[in-house]
Amino acid sequence: MKRHHITPRNNWQKVVENLGFGFHSTDVPYWDESAYYSFRTDEIDAIEKATTTLYEMSIAAVQHVIDYKKYDLLKIPNWITPHIENSWNKDDPAVYGRMDLCYKNGEIKLLEFNADTPTSLFEAAIVQWFWLNDFDKTKDQFNSLHEKLIAYWKYLLPYLNNSKLHFTCINESLEDLTNTEYLRDCAIQAGHTTKFTFMNTIGWADSTKKFVDEDDEAITNIFKLYPWEWLLQDEFGKNIIADTLQTKWIEPSWKMILSNKGILPILWQLYPKHPLLLKAEFSNDGFNSYAKKPILSREGANIELIEQKNSLEKTDGDYGSEGFIYQELFTLPNHNGNYPVIGSWIVGQEPAGMGIREGNGLITNNTSRFIPHLIE
Amino acid sequence: MKKSKKIKLVLITAALASCNQKKVPTDWENGNGGKTYLRSDSTAPYSRSHFHGAGLWFYAFRPLYSYNSNGAFVRNGFSSNAIPTSSNFGTNYSKGKAVRGGFGRSSKGGG
Repeated sequence: MKRHHITPRNNWQKVVENLGFGFHSTDVPYWDESAYYSFRTDEIDAIEKATTTLYEMSIAAVQHVIDYKKYDLLKIPNWITPHIENSWNKDDPAVYGRMDLCYKNGEIKLLEFNADTPTSLFEAAIVQWFWLNDFDKTKDQFNSLHEKLIAYWKYLLPYLNNSKLHFTCINESLEDLTNTEYLRDCAIQAGHTTKFTFMNTIGWADSTKKFVDEDDEAITNIFKLYPWEWLLQDEFGKNIIADTLQTKWIEPSWKMILSNKGILPILWQLYPKHPLLLKAEFSNDGFNSYAKKPILSREGANIELIEQKNSLEKTDGDYGSEGFIYQELFTLPNHNGNYPVIGSWIVGQEPAGMGIREGNGLITNNTSRFIPHLIE
Repeated sequence: MKKSKKIKLVLITAALASCNQKKVPTDWENGNGGKTYLRSDSTAPYSRSHFHGAGLWFYAFRPLYSYNSNGAFVRNGFSSNAIPTSSNFGTNYSKGKAVRGGFGRSSKGGG
């Protein structure tokens, strides 16, 4: 894994905007093609294999939580657990997830699994693929996301309720909308009849106990780019279990277990000293150097890195009221002051590609940059 | 080869302008005197149906009837193929009961 400094394409902003990538910059570029990472094939093979192994372990960990009803550890409210177990036992469709991996000195470690509402999918699947076409189309890339997403949506056709597939996200985030519309694009190409509706326009018809869209059309399948824990907190949350249509939510409610940072200590308990895992516990007893992470959090918020019991780095945010987990410190590799984390994607049950985000610090947050990659 | 062979997008570039954009009001909404038509326009899927025994007519909106529990004839209004089935059937009361805005608030830190 090497970082290379290069000259961006002329007028790159226009080039990526033509792809539908509208959030390429904030104060500074988020999409950053002044550099790229190169990998050897054996390195990519190792990342792909690690992703497969970690996914199998993660699924076993979900089964463990359900078998032993460890919902309290994850702060999942009791009223939703029958819905979770039902979605798990019925094998309700799960489309995707993104594992954040640290790759350093030949070692791969799972930092966390964004299994419910991962973003950066569009830039990983589309923007960096077109970048490579311009930069050097003879080179390969660990990125079959687009093909696999279409293929998996196609596979899911008979498993959804026999009506439209709705897609939703909040209306204040262009990033969320882009990712959601990209997934809908793939679903359309797979043969689904789809309809987009924003979260705040979803209605609840109390007389019939069903969710409806802005046209009063019943919602029976819905992909939502909106965290399950927020759904549960919202005013309509408890209507999910009263819903007479038993709407299929994608990602399904069992993903609440997998996207919870509490899955990390459970994985460590089930697979102690596994080379792909970092030691993780629900308390910091016995740790000298560790990352303190909220059970529920996003975009690197409320994380603190402790080295030899001294604070190394810390981020602010609104998370942490549900409690924290503690994970052995394994700092990101330093490439001349740039610290990359690998987002390794799962589509269906398989590894499907990766995207790299890097920051100037050890915690990857919402100000990090997306850097394209290629295989030498 | 680990990359996609080809990539085609059918939707994405056209859709993004809708994010949090203020909807431009129509003439009808901003009171500039736009006309309102009772009959559907030419895009409505007119259907052939018998009406008042007077032969075949083309209607965008068809009369909708049913019988109540006493067997009495009840006129329910009109139905159209141009709108979702759930919007054609059911009483105004039940439609009026759909409330909105119960999702999405936690994203604003309200949860």
